[in-house]
Amino acid sequence: MNPVLDGWSIDGATAMHAWAIATAATVAAACALVGTLLVVRRMSLLGDALGHAVLPGIAVAVLAGGRPGSPFVFAAAVATGLLTVWLTRLVRSAGSLSDDAGTGVVFTTLFALGVVIVTAAASRVDLDPSCMLYGILELVPFDTVSIGDLEVPRGFISAAVVLGTLTTAAIATWKLQVFTAFDADAARAAGVPVAAVTGGLLAATALATVAGFEVVGAVLVVAMLVVPAAAAELLVRRLHHMVLVAVALAVVGTCLGYLAAWRWNASAAGMIAVVLGLEYVAAVVLAADDGLVARGLGRLRYAWRVLCEDRLAAVWRAEEKGTAATAPVSLVQRLAVGWLRLTGRFVGRAGGLALSSAGRREAEMVVRSHRLWEAWLGQHAQLPLDHLHPPAEWVEHHLGAAMRQRIEAEVGAAGDPHGSDIPPEA
Amino acid sequence: MADAGSSAPPVVEFHDVTVAYSGRPVLWNVDLTITEPCLFGIIGPNGAGKSTLLKSGLGLVPLVHGTARFWGRPLADVRRRVGYVPQRETVDWDFPVSVMDVVLMGTYGRLGWFRRPGSRERSLARECLDRVGLIDVADRQIGRLSGGQQQRVFLARALAQEADIYFLDEPMAGVDARSQEQIFGVLAGLRSEGRLVVVVHHDLRTAATWFDRVALIDMRLVATGPTAEVLTPDNLRRTYAGQVDLLQEIGQAVAARSRTT
Amino acid sequence: MSPTACLAAAPALTHNTLVVAAGVAAVGCAAGVVGSLSLLRKRPLIGDAAAHTTLVGVAAAFLLTGRRDLPTLLTGALVAAVAGLAALVLVRRFTRTRDDAATAIVIGVGFGLGIALLSGITARGLPGSAGLEQFLLGHTAALTVRDAVLLAVVSAVAVAVVLLGLKEATLVAFDADFAAATGWPVGLIDQVLVTLVAVMVVVGLPAAGAVLVTALVVIPPVAARQWTDRVPTLLVLGGTFGLVAAIVGVAVSAVVPRMPTGPLVVLAAATICIVSLLIAPRRGWLARRHQQVTLEPPPGMRRLR
Repeated sequence: MNPVLDGWSIDGATAMHAWAIATAATVAAACALVGTLLVVRRMSLLGDALGHAVLPGIAVAVLAGGRPGSPFVFAAAVATGLLTVWLTRLVRSAGSLSDDAGTGVVFTTLFALGVVIVTAAASRVDLDPSCMLYGILELVPFDTVSIGDLEVPRGFISAAVVLGTLTTAAIATWKLQVFTAFDADAARAAGVPVAAVTGGLLAATALATVAGFEVVGAVLVVAMLVVPAAAAELLVRRLHHMVLVAVALAVVGTCLGYLAAWRWNASAAGMIAVVLGLEYVAAVVLAADDGLVARGLGRLRYAWRVLCEDRLAAVWRAEEKGTAATAPVSLVQRLAVGWLRLTGRFVGRAGGLALSSAGRREAEMVVRSHRLWEAWLGQHAQLPLDHLHPPAEWVEHHLGAAMRQRIEAEVGAAGDPHGSDIPPEA
Repeated sequence: MADAGSSAPPVVEFHDVTVAYSGRPVLWNVDLTITEPCLFGIIGPNGAGKSTLLKSGLGLVPLVHGTARFWGRPLADVRRRVGYVPQRETVDWDFPVSVMDVVLMGTYGRLGWFRRPGSRERSLARECLDRVGLIDVADRQIGRLSGGQQQRVFLARALAQEADIYFLDEPMAGVDARSQEQIFGVLAGLRSEGRLVVVVHHDLRTAATWFDRVALIDMRLVATGPTAEVLTPDNLRRTYAGQVDLLQEIGQAVAARSRTT
Repeated sequence: MSPTACLAAAPALTHNTLVVAAGVAAVGCAAGVVGSLSLLRKRPLIGDAAAHTTLVGVAAAFLLTGRRDLPTLLTGALVAAVAGLAALVLVRRFTRTRDDAATAIVIGVGFGLGIALLSGITARGLPGSAGLEQFLLGHTAALTVRDAVLLAVVSAVAVAVVLLGLKEATLVAFDADFAAATGWPVGLIDQVLVTLVAVMVVVGLPAAGAVLVTALVVIPPVAARQWTDRVPTLLVLGGTFGLVAAIVGVAVSAVVPRMPTGPLVVLAAATICIVSLLIAPRRGWLARRHQQVTLEPPPGMRRLR
């Protein structure tokens, strides 16, 4: 699919590849920038739709004599993109359809129209039907213009112009975009021209899509738009951090994808999408607060804490009653006791284990949480006495000092409904 | 019957039901027992968990802990004896079905897999439509009805279930006065046939006259019993200006801790 | 169309061509029927994610078996389509990523992997690898009679499953909460529906290709919905429109050299759809303009939310 690679001379090859990588990375950065807003506004599928739907615009513009990559073709494609959005709304309201159905009708129809135009005119103009699907990144370095001494690919220039335009527009309107993305109704009430902001985002999406279309083709544009942004969303919480991370992921993923395609002699566009996908999977697994690893560890840590706290409280209650605590039964319980001993919360004593002062304090806070919650439920929920224990067993591990104080204030002097003492706050 | 109440299992029993959405409890430890057929209102402010309680009984939301039982048995054993009227907003009224089609859906549970409704089901559906006063619009597409009529279609569908317990979620919301009266009439008729009717309701004025017994709910059960005994100023204050802040904060703490740490 | 093209097409109208056209027509019809259900369930684009991942399966099936007969390749495509849908479920279950982004990710990355594999196969010039790209945009000219019979049989089975479970599917699509409350296994019924869509997307590949096959499932039902307020009629019309679109697409592509079938089928369906959106009684654009004058709200305006 990229036989040209093999024909490159050794010294020229590196420069050629560098230009291709630079072009792809520039496009990917522009797509990630726009894609971040699309993802947070739940408009991801619009990127997919536009990637397909700009094809007839490009085809007609090229048939009309425009050069692929020229401003004329860009303008035609952006116009087609906006037309697509308008048509989607029209079809949706004409058919009382959901967003999905309207989008599904319009983008497939326009793409089909584009394919037919391109195929019918393939002998007359310089548009290869297969390029529509996976771009012509490998050919980008061959179509150059001279700037001073340097032969710069046209594709890179148009990509850089698009990235520059979008970055400027994003910086200029960032606050409005964020406000609208966060809460369109509130923004409208506050006088933000929401329609214009959304229209601007749509135009930006069309622009980024067209730039991406030339490089990676109709379908894979959606990968560049959405995947880095979705990965970034898992990694960071703030929107402006998200943009930066998304752009970084897009650039790195594009470089790696291109190199992988070179190594295995496969389509660069396809490999870039695959590497971006791998980045997303890595984000799913490794994200600091929400990743699979973090969640698994968190769950383990929580279970362990509950186990330890229950053990401490059991010994404390036994002491209170003057009986012997039930011995740990399962292996994990014995492990927990070992750990508590190692960390100085249990101390050895003749005839078994006793709470150290630190262990006692911790146990008292668990029991305190438990009994406060029982007291609160007893007062404020209509719940029989014998039903108070299970909920308290659960909540006792979740209350902090501040929460306990508040509950105590609401419970007042009533005390534990079973008649036990509630230990004081440490 | 009333004397035997101690030995016979209650019609509906929620035992220590706690429900959480994505780890965050919205309903805490509800213990609610309805011993005999009556018109039963579940009353409380917005976001109090009234619908959630109903849905937890029907197995539509998972319980964090607790159980819901009907005549002492789990829902799976008695599913066909429990009818359900969901909130009107939960479906797309542009859906291409007629009023008759929707009412026939009430018979699907009894029909089982792959069997189509026959003449018996059709005449039952017509009866139910007649009962809610919609027999004239049986062939109309459901989107071409008023809000009150749509609500009555849902009620007719539940009637076609021929259940012994009916759970209704806000059947009076956004419904004109005439439809309200009509719906209430049907519900009262069900009670006089010895069926239990549980209604989630938000209007205190009508609640006082319509229901035999009520439960006041605000993220937890505040009070339950005969309507006159429960709808006291003190109980209402505890329901509508209650300790929900604390419950919400603790809910958040539980959700945050069990998710990440 | 030029006279030479017509002449070139004339000998192509053999017994084979007719059988193939019938097979593809069956696919179009079944896609319209299954698609009507997925439109009712408000998941018209569920097939799109599956469609874009089928390419991986086609390429992998070829790489693993070295064969390029249709049953082998479509089996691979079906496995990949189901894997794509499973990936979608996993992303929903285990991440914060929202549904639309999850769908876009599966589409983009799945298609990328397919393109990478296909291009790798092509670049290595493996024997028999030519023609795999036909699965991108659809190409029915290469189908054999046996292939067409396979497509028709699978389509017939899909339609039979829909008819068998129509009562259950309609109930779940209209009111899933009520269905669940009355004991129907909503998840299972949804899975059957999604599997049917995946199957239709896969058997639709020869006709429309991975990029456009979604249209077979989406456009005819949308057109059919304009004409009726009853589910059975919707299925009949959806199937008929899909059938007509498929026949038109196959016929035109048989006559025009080098023209892939997919776009033609889609354009035929789109034409039906546009006409329906405009002139259908009551729901059509013209009828609504008329209704607004008579002050009766159009049915669509009653939609909630």
